[in-house]
Amino acid sequence: MNNTFDIQRFGKVLKHDGLNFFPNFILSLAILWAIPVVIYLFTALLPTDETRHIYDAMSRVNIIDTLLKIAIIIAPAMLYKTCNDSRKGIGYAMLPASTLEKFVSMVVYCVIVTPIVYIAGSLAIDSILALFNGPYKDFAASIYFNKFSQIEYTIEQQSTKIMLDDTWPIFINNLSPAFMRALSCLGILMLSSIFMFGNMIFKKRKTGKMIGILIFLSIIFMILFINYVANNEAFVQYFEQLNEDNVTEFVIRIIRIMMNVAIYTEIIVSALLLWGVYRKIKTQKY
Amino acid sequence: MIKISNLDFAYKNTQVFKNISLEFQKGNIYGLLGENGVGKTTLLKLICGLQKPQHGSVTVDGLTPSMRQPEFLQNVYFLPEEVITEDTTPEKFIQKIGCFYPRYDFALFNKLMGELEVDLSKRFNELSHGQKKKSLLACAMSLQTDYLFLDEPTNGLDIPSKALFRKVISQYCSDETTVIISTHQVKDVENLIDPIVILDRDDVLLNASFAEIIDKIYFEYGPERIQDAYYTEMLPGGYINVMPNTEHLESNVNIEALFNAVMKNKETIKNLMK
Repeated sequence: MNNTFDIQRFGKVLKHDGLNFFPNFILSLAILWAIPVVIYLFTALLPTDETRHIYDAMSRVNIIDTLLKIAIIIAPAMLYKTCNDSRKGIGYAMLPASTLEKFVSMVVYCVIVTPIVYIAGSLAIDSILALFNGPYKDFAASIYFNKFSQIEYTIEQQSTKIMLDDTWPIFINNLSPAFMRALSCLGILMLSSIFMFGNMIFKKRKTGKMIGILIFLSIIFMILFINYVANNEAFVQYFEQLNEDNVTEFVIRIIRIMMNVAIYTEIIVSALLLWGVYRKIKTQKY
Repeated sequence: MIKISNLDFAYKNTQVFKNISLEFQKGNIYGLLGENGVGKTTLLKLICGLQKPQHGSVTVDGLTPSMRQPEFLQNVYFLPEEVITEDTTPEKFIQKIGCFYPRYDFALFNKLMGELEVDLSKRFNELSHGQKKKSLLACAMSLQTDYLFLDEPTNGLDIPSKALFRKVISQYCSDETTVIISTHQVKDVENLIDPIVILDRDDVLLNASFAEIIDKIYFEYGPERIQDAYYTEMLPGGYINVMPNTEHLESNVNIEALFNAVMKNKETIKNLMK
């Protein structure tokens, strides 16, 4: 018997988790799906004059993306809330499947299924609302998967409104939509892995505690940055040397460095947190 | 076979087991007895892999439970004392988990639910505590695992249900199945369990079959209290005296009296049964 990974058994775990955990989560997703509907109804009820705001597709895509992040944050605690509970988690621990199968199933539901179900539902609802002659014009679905090209286009068109009007389009031209999409997926993975880890280490108020930790870490990093980087004499001197000729190059370089740091940090942090989740599933005591 | 060797286990600062060794042979229905807090549930959790020994080893058919390998998990089922159920029917629950167990039998589940007089169509939250326990027992037994661990299974059952519980366990457990029933309600499992394991704090006081017990200990029902007995208790119509069986007389084991005798004469009976 393969005690590490068996595809048939994995299929059973996916089915088990889907039947066991997903129906409860759908209710939470429904609340998130309802938010754009509430915005629509609220706006539609306003008198049709200049004060009535028309939400274009890009604004709605941004709303959907923000709510997607909320869905990803709450997903682990909604889906696998009881799996580390000393009483309620026994059934999960004793389920005849390997740790790897349970872990991959958890990743599939939190990182892949949740975003897909949420986005599909949101875009479907948005499309239905856009069919009516209300404040929703055009379909968010038509631009959702090309949103990064759309961002590039918008920036190029409205570059005068952007502070770094010369720098940003040059920089953004070097980033392909595919790269931006990959970056976005990496962001989803990192966000999900943070809250999956929180779900495994905390017994109660899992999401709240993890948000608290993130705020605490952000403050610490900010203090460290201010003390050791922003107040650094060499750093300040370098800034003072900048002039109109080399500021564009400098900003692009800084953004590149920051992006590289962000990408590597996201990969490393996600990998470490997912490893932590795997270890917790394997060694959790009940 | 379940083999426990030189097991040490503690919860933070509370020592539960200290260098205990114990074996459970296949095909028996063990009664795991002990006072509250001696570690009956902890022992079951260690055997199931829900806890990990700090020292020593626990193996089940050569596999280490704490590794939670599917090969091990598909052969064991643990029914905890506290009834934790999902918002579903017992039927849907067993269909959801049954596919993981190679010998799972849905027809047997239906039959057991009928024998235990539980309505199949009702959701868990519509059932009484006793009915929930009975339906979970039917679920556990229909999985037909080699090892079945029941923690205080008769708690919350009414008198007819306790009789049904005994009937179902004795009738539907195969000769290959090892059942360990942890309980402090010994009367509920009388005529069902054999052998008996009595746990004490940090120690195993007794692990013997009824045949081994009556070979060494005599249970006398008489009108008088015997002064040298390990344990004496007044019953309606006389006394029960638990004493050494020096003359190899035959008697019936009274589990409650045996338990009290063991608790009062720990070292003596431990040495006697060696």
